[in-house]
Amino acid sequence: MSPLSPTSPIVRIVDLWKEYHENGQVVTQALRGANLEAAPGEVLALFGKSGSGKTTLLNMLAGLDRPTRGLIEIDGKDLEALGEAGRTELRRHRLGFVFQFFNLLPTLTAFENVYLALELAGKLHPEAARAALDKVGLKGKENRYPHELSGGEQQRIAIARAIVKEPALILADEPTGNLDTVTGNQILELLTERCREAAMSLIMVTHTPLACKYADRILTMVDGVITEDEKCN
Amino acid sequence: MRTVTRSFLRYLYRRRSLSLLQLLGIACGVAAVIGMALSAKSALSSFSQAVEFLRGKSSHTLERLAGPLDEAILREIVSDPAVTSFAPVVERRLKLANGDLVRILGIDPFLDRAIRPEISRAPFEQRSGGSFEDSLAFLLDEKAILLEENLARELGLAKGGALNTLKGRLKVIGTFPNPSGEPLILMDIAHAQKLLELPGKIDHVDLILSDEGGFVSRWQEGYRIQSKRQRQETFGAMVGAFRLNLEALSLMALFVSVFLIYNTAMFAVVSRRRDAGVLRSLGASRGEVARAFLSEIALFGIFGGLLGSVFGFLLSRALTDIIGGTISSLYFFLRPTPMPWSWWIPAAGVIVGLGASFLGSLLPLLELSHADPVLTLRGRSGSRGNRRRAWFVALAGVFFLVASIIVLAFFSKQIYVAFIGVFGFLFGLSLLTGIIMVLAEPLLRRLLGGMGKLPGRIAAGNIIQNLGRTGVAVAAFMVALSMSIGLGSMIGSFRESLIWWMGTQLRGDMYISNASDMEVPKDFYAEIRSIPGIGGVDTYRKVPVLYRGRTVHVAAIKADVLQRFARFGWVAGGDEHWEAVKKGDVIVSESFARSFGTGPGSEVTLDGVAGPVRLRIEGVFYDYSTEHGLIMMDRETYIGLYGDRTINSIAVFIDPGEPRRKQILDDVRSRALSRGLPAFTREQFHSNILEVFDSTFAVTRSMRVIAIVIAFFGITGALLTLFIERQRDFGILRALGFSTGQVAGMTLLEAIGMGFVSFVFSSGVGTLLAILLIRVINLRSFNWTIFYYPDWQPYALTALTALAASIGAALYPIWKVHRTYPQMQIREE
Repeated sequence: MSPLSPTSPIVRIVDLWKEYHENGQVVTQALRGANLEAAPGEVLALFGKSGSGKTTLLNMLAGLDRPTRGLIEIDGKDLEALGEAGRTELRRHRLGFVFQFFNLLPTLTAFENVYLALELAGKLHPEAARAALDKVGLKGKENRYPHELSGGEQQRIAIARAIVKEPALILADEPTGNLDTVTGNQILELLTERCREAAMSLIMVTHTPLACKYADRILTMVDGVITEDEKCN
Repeated sequence: MRTVTRSFLRYLYRRRSLSLLQLLGIACGVAAVIGMALSAKSALSSFSQAVEFLRGKSSHTLERLAGPLDEAILREIVSDPAVTSFAPVVERRLKLANGDLVRILGIDPFLDRAIRPEISRAPFEQRSGGSFEDSLAFLLDEKAILLEENLARELGLAKGGALNTLKGRLKVIGTFPNPSGEPLILMDIAHAQKLLELPGKIDHVDLILSDEGGFVSRWQEGYRIQSKRQRQETFGAMVGAFRLNLEALSLMALFVSVFLIYNTAMFAVVSRRRDAGVLRSLGASRGEVARAFLSEIALFGIFGGLLGSVFGFLLSRALTDIIGGTISSLYFFLRPTPMPWSWWIPAAGVIVGLGASFLGSLLPLLELSHADPVLTLRGRSGSRGNRRRAWFVALAGVFFLVASIIVLAFFSKQIYVAFIGVFGFLFGLSLLTGIIMVLAEPLLRRLLGGMGKLPGRIAAGNIIQNLGRTGVAVAAFMVALSMSIGLGSMIGSFRESLIWWMGTQLRGDMYISNASDMEVPKDFYAEIRSIPGIGGVDTYRKVPVLYRGRTVHVAAIKADVLQRFARFGWVAGGDEHWEAVKKGDVIVSESFARSFGTGPGSEVTLDGVAGPVRLRIEGVFYDYSTEHGLIMMDRETYIGLYGDRTINSIAVFIDPGEPRRKQILDDVRSRALSRGLPAFTREQFHSNILEVFDSTFAVTRSMRVIAIVIAFFGITGALLTLFIERQRDFGILRALGFSTGQVAGMTLLEAIGMGFVSFVFSSGVGTLLAILLIRVINLRSFNWTIFYYPDWQPYALTALTALAASIGAALYPIWKVHRTYPQMQIREE
């Protein structure tokens, strides 16, 4: 089955390859001709074993890593053609990131971590940051530092940081990988709900079957190639 | 403030112990530079102030080419139409009973009024504690003196007191202020002539001229006329090499500081790398990450600079005395006043701090802003797998080494270029640190494993696995230790060369007087010569002369005596040179030959009393008495050239095998002392020279200590960073059952391991540095050869320093281990 979306896609990747070289020889092929399309507001869950190329794909979609060959379009724009400055702009305005290990800045409070994303996007609205924290259930904990919060709470900040600027696409790399089942469930519910509310697309790399419940489409990555599944295995 | 910047700056508070260490490290570096610069400036400005004060408002000075003037000359000067004012001066140094040498100025208070109004008024001023009778006493009492007020206070003397000197007891009739701070004794010129046994003689005449050209045309034959500007240039040249050395020492301190700042900045990069990755993934540009990092570095620069300026100011109080002592020993008696506090000092501190910070942070900044966000987001990848990187850095090091060798080999005639070459060489070697550590890993594992079993092996692994952090700290420490070894070996070799030189040239059994402005009466010389059992008496006269526009020295000796008793170290040839010297040729010092590009067979032309005289250079000898160049000739040649029969000092040689050696020397000594002349045995004379030598290098030793202190902060910072960055590892160790003591031991062994590698590497680098300092820097600065004498002492001292600094550096991190380890968990965040 082709993992292509019928509507005008927010993400389009065509024949994407990523090879790692050593001494002029290809030693690893993380992506081997991957194809994917995601429509606006669509929630995709991407499964796959360790080393199958999931995180590499996310890094490429975010413009943090560059493919060996192939096409990546975000919001209709070719990432390669955008250049470094263009990709930085894209991350500021159109992309949100949620990581497995939260990756909050330890020296900033919950509020500042969220506001940081707004500031980088040029939207100096502190109330929006507070509202985002409120939406993820952290009202009253705005001034706490990450180390003063639980793992679930830290991931909520990360979600607030990703959604606050209302990007077109959120990339989530195992967002529940470091959380217990109950918290993980809550996080997935929160993340998908907020994405749907604001018509943001979400591509989440995950191992947890819980994700199937919240995803519109289930994708699997095997040896650098993406296939679409009807249901979770 | 932007949140991105704030996220970086909060680390400063969050890791305040580390921040404090980094701040102190930068502050010490800035303190070294500021302290050295301030003390050099105050000493050198006191030097020129003192010179200017003594010369007063005179526009010119008239001297004989060598030796004192006959005061009969004043009759001609007074009638010269170009002379507006003139003042004769006797200017010598007088040995006090306590051993201090103090300048004594013999003036005519009436003639001196136009030249030195402050001094000439002193005998007649009420505020000096004098009365009209005292003023008369200054003119009438041949023992009456005025004392500079600081000297009087120091000696506990006031009006009516008595100053004991080797020339007898002098009567203090008052005190006077000296703005240059130099201790000074003022005496009426006629009394000074009598006291110093210079009847009818004066040392120079200070002049105010209305027509320089006319005066010079009438007086140029047989006299030296120096304008104020020429005088300043002469003195400037005199201390030029010394000033250069001080500048070099400041640069060395700055070099270590920049290294430390680089060290500090690399630590910051390591701990900010992940944050930089997060920020980049959120859309922060490279520029924004760089600006955030720069703001952190700038804060360190500003506050480190401010703190360093205060430390530097305090340091300058101590260093000024040391530098003053050195200038006094080598050039000109001086008691410099430390610079007063000024708001320029913190401003300079901030400039140095910021400049050094930005320079030291350049590479780390590039690294951080170009860090691959994908790699940095993986977590601690930055410091892992950097063995390959160590090879790349080593390649860059080899490039610097090759470039520096090219600079040193082909372009080092300019001393500043030579310094750049040496620093480049040192920097290039420091870039090899990483690879040396990788290669030393098996040895380190064996050493630390042997000392601490499993924790020791883990410690060795930690050092190598965290090359990004430990490599820079080891490099900084290595550079500091190398400087310690290099400077120590250079000083040691110089000392040994000096001892060898003294053994060749200064072989007299007794030396009477040793200062170039003191005089040994000729009848005393004749008296000593007539003592039975004395094989020879060498007379020594040394005068500064201008040669090709530069000040050099001419020394008159008794060639026949030295031929018999001395064993000069010849650059080429041997003692056969004396035959030619006895016939009127000259020998020149190595520094003279190198400075002027002359050698055996060529000629020097000197202005004598009867006009220019060409003298053939017979030989070149090793000499460390003056870096400006020395022309040595037989006394007869000298008298023929200058008509000066003055003797500054004499060396007495007892016949070899003379059984009454001790009695003869005791006899010579008592005769000298009865004339107010100091007498020294050869051992005392040599030991006095070595004392001067040691005091000359006191500043260098201070800089060595500061370099070690700076590096100490570097090692402590590295250990603390390792501790902070590896909390997760510690959690795992705790889960595995490692005790607090074992982890503390591991931390200590990491410090010892880093100290060990630093020392081993620095032994080689320090030796190379010593050779460069000796063969390139000293040769370019002073034009003399220092022979390299390998000595174990600098190495032993540095090894002990490295061990003590390593253990000291580990103390705080160990305390942190004790405080926090028992609570550590395995966690990612």
